Amino acid sequence: MSESLLNALVQGVLLGGYYAIVAAGLSLMFGVVRFINLAHGDLLVLGAMLALIAVEALGWPVWLAVATVIPLMAALGWALQRLMFERALAAGPLLPILVTLGLGATLQNGMFGLFGSNTRSLGAHIGDLSWSGWSLPGGLRVGTLPVLTFTLAIAVLGLMHLMLRRTPLGRAIRATAQDPGAAELSGVDARRVHRAAAAIAFALAALGGVLLAMRAQVTPFAGPPQLIFAFEAVVIGGIGSLWGTLIGGIVLGLAQTLGGTISAQVSLLAGHLVLLAVLGWRVLRDEAAARGGWIALMRVKGPSHD
Amino acid sequence: MKTHQPGALTRRHFTALGGAALVVPAMARRLRAQDADTIRIGFVGPRSGPLGIFGAGDAFLVEHFNRAQADGIEIGGRRYGVEIVLVDTQSDPVRGSLVTRDLITGQAPDIVITASTPETVNPVADACEAAGMPCLSTTAPWESFYFGRGGRPGQPSPFRWTYHFCFGTGNFVTLYDDQWRQVDTNRKVGILAPNDADGNAIRAGLLPALSAAGWDILDPGPYENMSSDFSRHIEAFRSAGVEIVNAFPFPPDFPVFWRQAAQQGLAQQVKVMQMAKAGLFAAELDAMGSLGYGLHAGAYWHPVFPFASTAVGLSSAGIAQGYEAATGQQWNQQVGATASLLDATLAALRASGAPKDKAALASALSGLQCDTAVGPVDFANGPVPNCAETHLVGVQWNRATSGPWGYQLDVVSNADHPSVPTTAAMTAYRLGG
Repeated sequence: MSESLLNALVQGVLLGGYYAIVAAGLSLMFGVVRFINLAHGDLLVLGAMLALIAVEALGWPVWLAVATVIPLMAALGWALQRLMFERALAAGPLLPILVTLGLGATLQNGMFGLFGSNTRSLGAHIGDLSWSGWSLPGGLRVGTLPVLTFTLAIAVLGLMHLMLRRTPLGRAIRATAQDPGAAELSGVDARRVHRAAAAIAFALAALGGVLLAMRAQVTPFAGPPQLIFAFEAVVIGGIGSLWGTLIGGIVLGLAQTLGGTISAQVSLLAGHLVLLAVLGWRVLRDEAAARGGWIALMRVKGPSHD
Repeated sequence: MKTHQPGALTRRHFTALGGAALVVPAMARRLRAQDADTIRIGFVGPRSGPLGIFGAGDAFLVEHFNRAQADGIEIGGRRYGVEIVLVDTQSDPVRGSLVTRDLITGQAPDIVITASTPETVNPVADACEAAGMPCLSTTAPWESFYFGRGGRPGQPSPFRWTYHFCFGTGNFVTLYDDQWRQVDTNRKVGILAPNDADGNAIRAGLLPALSAAGWDILDPGPYENMSSDFSRHIEAFRSAGVEIVNAFPFPPDFPVFWRQAAQQGLAQQVKVMQMAKAGLFAAELDAMGSLGYGLHAGAYWHPVFPFASTAVGLSSAGIAQGYEAATGQQWNQQVGATASLLDATLAALRASGAPKDKAALASALSGLQCDTAVGPVDFANGPVPNCAETHLVGVQWNRATSGPWGYQLDVVSNADHPSVPTTAAMTAYRLGG
């Protein structure tokens, strides 16, 4: 039993790396642009499909396809922010949600029309990498791809951390995220910053999509479930927090694998329950802060001792 | 005062033209529908959406059907033309029901036929039953057609108009019992079955029967479709020393499971990886790469079936070759199964003696005995009323030895369907082929 628990812990943490990459773009858009992108899952699939087309139809090596698709998606993010999202944001908080919902539906059906409903996977094009693994002491075995994905998650988030802390663009992004008006007064062009953030978010979505296509298979309609995982990781980790996204991804992955050790049926449910528990705890914490501490919250009506 | 150039198309002219273009075929259709010498077959199936691959051969088969039946068919001393109307469910059960009702009211077919998964067959059959329209279907386990729509064991059939021929749970027991014996194992079988209608049907019917046949069944329990992680099942199978895995996953889940099984050392100890539901189509195996060589499955049609389709005028081998030439895709099982549906439909029309009489047609279906591309179909001796049982062969996806495709499908077990020859001896699964 302890061995299977340890196995669940290790697999859960590694799964968390994948969720962190999927969630990072969503978190950035929400934190900086204040924009909920409901098409994030479909953008993931779009990135995967473009890479698959490059590999299967054009015969490119996988690394070249990935290296091309990520900047291409970044350019698409820049363009969509400029042409569509900016206008939607100017019209109030509801419109961006409707716009991205429509964008998602358009992407799903557009990809279905162009590429058909066949399932595709990059796993067949990366040789042993999709299924090879290492034996660890204690009877544990970990897959190469999950380990690489987790390492990639740390590297990507580390690079973003450095970018945000050490570069002028990073400073502008942080300033804009805190207060767009004040940032503009200090000479930051908030619209350009938003476009840069969208470009990074779309590039991250493309990376997540490529990883999805390597670990599973994709169809034009595979986006929405990934959006749910991304949302949960973002909310659990704290909205707009970079390392929080990694923590959120790991907590979600752990909840699923540990839930699975109780019963296979609990796996996905456990992730959703953790999300609810985190939200509930935050509400109570704020309530407690407003009433002067947890003890005061417990004794709502009682007389106060010392 | 005219401001546009003479001859230019104005909006009003355009609209009028468009209206005329819409009216003409509608009138033609009405004229044809009144034609008492043409039998109309409404064929409802998934041709787009996630199940679209099941309908990929329909256009090819209809073309050959039209060619083979160009002179019409003679029934009761009278010659009838035959026309097939194709309708798409878009892989959606609700839409399947809707388009069937539209078909029945708008196109006045004499019979409706349908195929591919309970999600397609059941709503279409229900719509036909409600409308008093004869309906023939295939490719969904007969239990889900009969019991899934409200039939009860031991009671009279609630269905008068709808008929179905396909394999059922019993065929899986015969097939697996024979197929798994062909490789030396410890007889420990791990079950991967989700929490859905199929998974629950398997727990209720198939698993007890396999246990009774002497297989040591380990079922770690149902899981939700579209899971990202199968560590729990993999760990349970690995620590129990399972050498046979029998999986009934939603098809996109299988590569996730099997890649993790290889990463975590399960695939290295498994000798038989028996897929059901997943692994029907070569495209799924192509997506798995070398990890798919040697996977085991069951098949309801194969080009080596020693039967022919009289409806489309092709042998089993001819169907596969013709499909590959027409579409540029590797043959798949459903092309043969759909050809068998056309065979049985023509046989029923002939047996009715009066194909325009719906009651006569339904009565002909209830006792239909005929030969099809998947083998003999016998409604007179079915497992339950309204159903006829067809058979399965055991297959293995192997690395192709010749030809343009990456995989070839070898027949390795014919215990459930003895007239089909095997094409290769079954081998144990080996990672990477």
